[in-house]
Amino acid sequence: MAPVINAERRERDLPIPERKPGEDEGPSKRDVRKPQGDNELLRRMRKVDPDQAKKYRQRSGE
Amino acid sequence: MRLFGSDIEYGLQIEGRDVADQLEDSAEVIRSLQANSVGCWDYALESPRCDLRGFSVDRLTTDPADSVWDVGRVHPPESELRSDRVLENGARLYNDHGHPEYATPECRRIADALAHELAGERIVLQAAKDFQERTGRAVKIYKNNTDYHGASYGSHENYLVPRSVQFADLLSHLVPFLISRSILFGAGKVGSESRPDVRFQLSQRADFFTELASVDTLYRRPIFNTRDEPHAEQERWIRLHVICGDANRMPWSIAMKFGTMSLVLRLLEMGDRVEWALRDPVTAFRDASRILDGSRIETTSGWTNSAEVLDDYRCACESRFRGTDAETDWVLDEWNAALEDFRTDWTRLADRVDWAAKRLMLEQFCGPVETWDAPLAQSLDLEYHNLEPQDSLFDALVAEGQTRTVIPESRILDAMSMPPQDTRAQLRAEVVRTYGEQVQAIGWRRAIISAGPDDSRVVEFPVNWETGTLSDLLE
Repeated sequence: MAPVINAERRERDLPIPERKPGEDEGPSKRDVRKPQGDNELLRRMRKVDPDQAKKYRQRSGE
Repeated sequence: MRLFGSDIEYGLQIEGRDVADQLEDSAEVIRSLQANSVGCWDYALESPRCDLRGFSVDRLTTDPADSVWDVGRVHPPESELRSDRVLENGARLYNDHGHPEYATPECRRIADALAHELAGERIVLQAAKDFQERTGRAVKIYKNNTDYHGASYGSHENYLVPRSVQFADLLSHLVPFLISRSILFGAGKVGSESRPDVRFQLSQRADFFTELASVDTLYRRPIFNTRDEPHAEQERWIRLHVICGDANRMPWSIAMKFGTMSLVLRLLEMGDRVEWALRDPVTAFRDASRILDGSRIETTSGWTNSAEVLDDYRCACESRFRGTDAETDWVLDEWNAALEDFRTDWTRLADRVDWAAKRLMLEQFCGPVETWDAPLAQSLDLEYHNLEPQDSLFDALVAEGQTRTVIPESRILDAMSMPPQDTRAQLRAEVVRTYGEQVQAIGWRRAIISAGPDDSRVVEFPVNWETGTLSDLLE
């Protein structure tokens, strides 16, 4: 599967309220399992039960 | 800066349980969360039946198709079902008609509102894991708005607006914006739950809106919800309760949804109105969701498209607000770039707009949209919204670096336990931390704290509160 990202993607972050020095240390994004060899998205899509949406029923909300 | 935030209802699926069990199951999930919190939500100041147009209704309508699940069942009392919890970050977590619902604490900054909405995802997922640990039943949580069988549940935005703004102006100014913004903030949906049929559309929610304006939210849903429940001084404020938006996974969409709406409201508060006379707003909402090239919004003077309508609002905001502050400039820059990308090639939005990411993902896996196998495509659609990061298709895109990260992860983790530092949510959070079991009632506006057998103290949470501690207020 071709990557969905486009080369000219903009990466300017949202301005965030100031913090004290060091408070924003840590991971920049969530620790999700990284792709291992095969395309991770493709691997997950192949695992999806084709009838999952048929079985999914919910109460009306709000 | 105004107060704003969101309240999100999550889809819930539990192994071995049925939709008819959902009211009780959702309550159990909420109660399972291992977290410091206070119950006893203060309902005394709530007014969901009051209408902004100056009247109250006797009762809110309910969905007859949904009521069939209650036939022959006796549910616990409403107070028990609700399972209200106020968390130490100032948020409210509760069971809303079978859906775990997370209402963020009040925020003034877009980055805070985004961090707290994303923190809510993590907290609801943790509640599901704690439930699973306790019961042994596997749980899935979905941040979406539909079950593909005609049931819908909400993802609402809330904005505090001065009551001096006239209802008629709010309605005419906002409705074209709400309808057209699906091209940037739609979560995308395979199929439809209203006529005409379509294989893919931009919005998860557009199928479910049949009225222009109403106080109802469960049935005959309106594009503009007129509920008059400000959670603030009634004579000074209204809380704009936006119910027609989609539940977004993309951080950029969440941030921009808050950012653009705040600017569009500021226009009106300054006396500027954007005028688009739609022939039939309900039909226009569905059309705008279904037609990818955006060429199908009918006005009283002819046809236009969503990008043109949205750009009209953008230009008005650009001329009024450019240079106000860094956050405003970020919103204006991103708004302009996104509309440009939409007009040029919608796939350029796939790193930050849910419907575009989802559609591209499905086209790459299933082929052109007209060849999709509907049950499989809908199941893939659903799994995009799964909150479990190791299974979710959205989180696979994150793992592969194909989505934009708008704020640092540390901000989201902080928001799971800390309130925004410049709103009254600080006071609520401090009450939870400090008074715990002494709290007799707590809500958006106040807490009632027991100081002895026949002695209780009311602590008000002022709208204009920005800095300080609870002790400053109690002095």
